[in-house]
Amino acid sequence: MPEIVLKNVTKKWGGFTAVENLNLEIEDGAFITLLGPSGCGKTTTLRMIAGLETPTSGEITIGGTVVFSSQKGINISAAKRDIGFLFQNYALWPHMTVYQNIAFGLETLKWKKPDIEKRVAQMLETLQITQFAQRYPSELSGGQQQRVAIARTLAPSPKVLFMDEPLSNLDAKLRGEMRTELKRLHADTGSTFVYVTHDQLEAMTMATKICLMKEGVLQQYDPPLTVYNHPSNRFVADFVGNPTMNFIPAKAVKLSDNTARLEMLGEKFTFTSENSFMLKDGDISVGIRPEHLPISPKGSVPGQLTGTAYSTLPAGMETTVKIKIGGTILSSVMFGSLDYKVDSEICFTVQSDRILIFDVDGRCATSGTVTK
Amino acid sequence: MEKNKFFNRVLAYFTKPSNVIVVAFLIILLACIVYPLYSVLSLSLTVGQMDSLMYNSLFGLHLKKGSFSLLNISMLMFGKYSAEYSASFFWSPLWNSIRMSVYASAIAVLIGGVVAWLITRTDIRYKKFISSVFVFPYIMPSWTLALVWKNVFANSQVGTGVTGMLESLTGICVPSWFVYGIFPCSIVMGIHYAPFAYILIGGILRNMDANLEEAATILKADRWRIIRKVTLPIVMPALISTVLLVFSSTMASYAVPVFVGSPGNFYVMSTMLRALYSGSYSGQSYVMTLVLVLIGIGMLTLNQALIGKRKSFTTVTGKSGQVSYVKLKGNKLVSVIMVVVLFFMAIFPIFSFALESLCEVQGDYSTLTLKFWLSKEDIGGFQVAVGKGILLNSVVWKAMLGSILLSLVVALVVGTSGFLIGYGVSKKRGSRMATLLSNVAFFPYLIPSMAFGSIFLAVSTKLLFLRGTFLLLVIVASVKYLPFASRSGTSAMMQLSGEIEEAAIIVGAPWITRMTKILFPIQKSSFISGYLLPFVSCIRELSLFVLLASSGTLITTLLSYFDERNVVQMSNGINLLIIMVVLLVNFTTNKLTGASIDKGIGGN
Repeated sequence: MPEIVLKNVTKKWGGFTAVENLNLEIEDGAFITLLGPSGCGKTTTLRMIAGLETPTSGEITIGGTVVFSSQKGINISAAKRDIGFLFQNYALWPHMTVYQNIAFGLETLKWKKPDIEKRVAQMLETLQITQFAQRYPSELSGGQQQRVAIARTLAPSPKVLFMDEPLSNLDAKLRGEMRTELKRLHADTGSTFVYVTHDQLEAMTMATKICLMKEGVLQQYDPPLTVYNHPSNRFVADFVGNPTMNFIPAKAVKLSDNTARLEMLGEKFTFTSENSFMLKDGDISVGIRPEHLPISPKGSVPGQLTGTAYSTLPAGMETTVKIKIGGTILSSVMFGSLDYKVDSEICFTVQSDRILIFDVDGRCATSGTVTK
Repeated sequence: MEKNKFFNRVLAYFTKPSNVIVVAFLIILLACIVYPLYSVLSLSLTVGQMDSLMYNSLFGLHLKKGSFSLLNISMLMFGKYSAEYSASFFWSPLWNSIRMSVYASAIAVLIGGVVAWLITRTDIRYKKFISSVFVFPYIMPSWTLALVWKNVFANSQVGTGVTGMLESLTGICVPSWFVYGIFPCSIVMGIHYAPFAYILIGGILRNMDANLEEAATILKADRWRIIRKVTLPIVMPALISTVLLVFSSTMASYAVPVFVGSPGNFYVMSTMLRALYSGSYSGQSYVMTLVLVLIGIGMLTLNQALIGKRKSFTTVTGKSGQVSYVKLKGNKLVSVIMVVVLFFMAIFPIFSFALESLCEVQGDYSTLTLKFWLSKEDIGGFQVAVGKGILLNSVVWKAMLGSILLSLVVALVVGTSGFLIGYGVSKKRGSRMATLLSNVAFFPYLIPSMAFGSIFLAVSTKLLFLRGTFLLLVIVASVKYLPFASRSGTSAMMQLSGEIEEAAIIVGAPWITRMTKILFPIQKSSFISGYLLPFVSCIRELSLFVLLASSGTLITTLLSYFDERNVVQMSNGINLLIIMVVLLVNFTTNKLTGASIDKGIGGN
C-alpha cells in the first residue's frame, strides 16, 4: 500500500542544484538505501519525501496520495504524511525521560493512557531498554540513545520509516550489531524502510534495493548484487566494493558482435561477452574486481601474468595483495593469510565472466570474460 | 637535600606560563575582591559622620564618626528608631526594586523571546535589519530610553514642569505616574534588556538542533504543541537565566531610576544608597550595599541551582543548517510592525536627543538654535554654570577624553586578562586552581555596579592613596568587567585543541610567539570582542563611577550632573555624543575585524 513514487523531483538552493530531476519508485515493504558520497543529495531526497524540505519542482506520492506536487500546488506537511523518521543524531528531547520521549507521539495521537503504557512497555522490551525508562537521554550511552530513538519512531507503527545515517555516530562494533537488528526489525514490522548512508557496506548488506546518487543525479537503482556485478558506470563500480575495483587502461579493437581484442598490461587479450555490445575502437578502461585476480604458483595454471609484490595486507580471514605490473598497481584478494616479501615475483590470472568494459565516458558497455 | 627537591619542584611549576598566569591572577583577584568585601562588612558596622549625629541625638549616645555600632543595621532594617524610618529608607526602596525588576524581566523576556523566535524560526522579512537594529537599545546607555521617555512625556503638569514632545505637539498632558515612577522605570529597563534576552534566547534557539522540533512534527504534533512541549522546555534554562540576569541587573541599576524615578519620589535600593551616602550616612549606605551584594549572590546561586544537570543538553551536533522556517501568516504586516516598533526603540531616541539639544526653550520646537553646540560665550539662564557650547566646552572635552582614556585602559587590561585567564584555565582544565580562578573571575558579576562602586569607595577610605584617582577607576572597572571577558576567553580557548599549541612548541616557538602568532589569531574575533565589550560598557557606565568620580571626570557623570540640574539641552547633547562614540566604535570594530557585541545571532 504505501508505495512511494517520485516524479521529476528537483531541489535547488539559489544557483546550487542539490537534487536533479529524480525519478524513483519504492515498492511497499522494500528496504531502500540512498547511497552516495557526502553532498550527493541523498539526505535532501529523504527530507523531501518526509516533508521536512520542500522540493523546487516535481511530484511525490506516498501510498497513492499526492503529498507534494509543484504543478498542483500540493504540499502536505510532514505531520500528515504518516511516516517515521530516525535522525542521525537521534534528536531525543533532553528534557524528557526515555518513557516520555517514546510516549510523546502516542499522546499526540490522543491514545488512552493505559494503551500508551502498554505500547511503550512493549517498545522498551523489544529494544531491550526497559531498565532505562526513567532516565534522561544525557544519562545514556550512544547505543542506548539510538535504541530509544528507534523505539520512539516505531511506537506509533508508521507504515514508512525514514532513517538518516542512523548508525554513523556509533562505534564499529555496535554498528555491526545494529545493522543486524534493523534488518530484523524490517522483517518484523513489514514497513517500508528508506535508509540514507554513505557506507557502501551498510547499503550492500541491508538493502533490498540501492539508489546510488552523485551530485544530485541518480546513477543506478537496483538490488545490491546487480549494482555490484553490473554497475551502470565507472563511478558506481568504483563506489561499491571494498577493496575497490581495479581499473586498467586498455586499447580495444572490436572483432565481432560480441568479441573484441584488448591490449593492456603489455599483453594482448581476447574479450568475449555473451551478448552483442557496442564499443568504439580506441581507449577504454577494463574493470576487474580484486577477487577475480587469483594468485597462483608459477606455471600451475595457463594464461598467467607476472608482476611483483608491492605490499601485502593480511587481515586474518582474507589478504589483500597489491601487485605491481608495468606502471600499474592492482589489488587482489585471496582467502586466508598470505604474506609475500616486498618486490618478490607474483603470478596471477584474470578469472571471471564478469570483467567490465567502460568506454571513454565511463559508461559500462558490457561484461564478459578475457583470455590471454 | 629535601629542601633542594622542593625548590626544584616549585621552579619547575613556574616555568610553565599557564601556572604563572593562574597563580598570579588568583592572587590579584582575591586581593581585589576579598579585601573590598571585608572593607564593606567592617564599614557597615561603623558609623558615618551624620550617622553618629543622628544616633547620638536620638538615643543620647556619644558615638563618634568611625566607631563600631550595630545601629546602622537595626536603624535601617529593623525599626530601631521607628517602623516608618525603616520602611521609607529601606523596605520601601527594596520593595520598589523588586517590583521594578519583576516587571522589567517579564517585559524583556517577552519582547526578546518573541523577536528571537521570529528571527530564528520564521520567514519574517527584513531579518538582517531587525536583528542588527534590535540590539541598539542594549548597546546604548541604559538611561537613553529614560531620557527619551522624559523628552516625550514630561509636561507642564508634572514635576519640574518641562514641556515634552507629546505636549508640545498634541497638547496632551499624561498623568504623573506615567512620567515618573515604577511604570516608566519598568518599561524602560524592560526594553533596554530585551535585546539581552534576545541574544541569550536567540543563541539557544539558533544552536538548538532543528531535528528536535522536526522529530515532534513527524510524530504529528502541531505547531503549538511543539512550542509548548519541546521548544519552551529546552530553552527554559536560557529563559530562567535571562530572567535572573535581567532581574539582578535591574536591581542594581542606578541610571534609569535616577532619571525617571527619583523626580517622582520613587526610590529604589541603588538611588537610596546614593542618597544616604551623599548625606554622609555612610554606615547605613554600606548596610544597603551589603544587602545588594547578598541579593546578587542569591540570584546567581539560584540560577545555578535551577539549571539542573540531569536534563542537560546532549550536544550531538546535528545538521542544523537545514532549518525549515515557519510560514508566518500576515508576514508583511508583522514585518512592517516590527520595523516601526524598532524605529521607535532604536532610531527615534537619537533623533530625539538631537532635537532636544537644539531647543532654546525646552519642548518649544519653534525656538531651534545651535547655541548649545557652538556658543562661544558662556551659556546663561541656568542655576549652574554651563560654560560654552558642547563642541567648544573644555569641561565636556576633558570629561570625554577622560572617559575614552579610561575605557581604553580598561579594555586593554580586561581584554588581555580575559585572554590570559582563558589560556590558563583551559591549559589547566579540570584542576582545582583553574576552577577556583574561573569562579573568582566571575564573582564580580554577582555584585551590582552601584554596590561595587560603593565597595571600592570603602577601600579608598582605607587606602587613602587611591582616593579619587584615575587608578581607582581603572581597578574598579577592570575587575567589574572581567567576568564576561574571562568567560568568553575561556570558551574560545577551550575550543582550541591542545595540539595546536603543542605543534608550535615542537618547532620551538617561544610562549609569546605562540600567543600572538597562533592562539590569538585563530580565535581573533572572540578575543577582540573581549576588548570591545569592556570599552563600550565602560564608556557608557554611570552607576559604577557615580560614587567614585567627580562630575567633571567622566562624560557620563557630567551628563548626570547636567540632568539632575535640569540643563536638559546639555544632557541631551552629551548623550547624543556618547551614543555616537559607542555606535562608531562598535561599527568600526565590526567592519575591521568582524567582531561585534551582537555577534552570533542575526540575519547572517
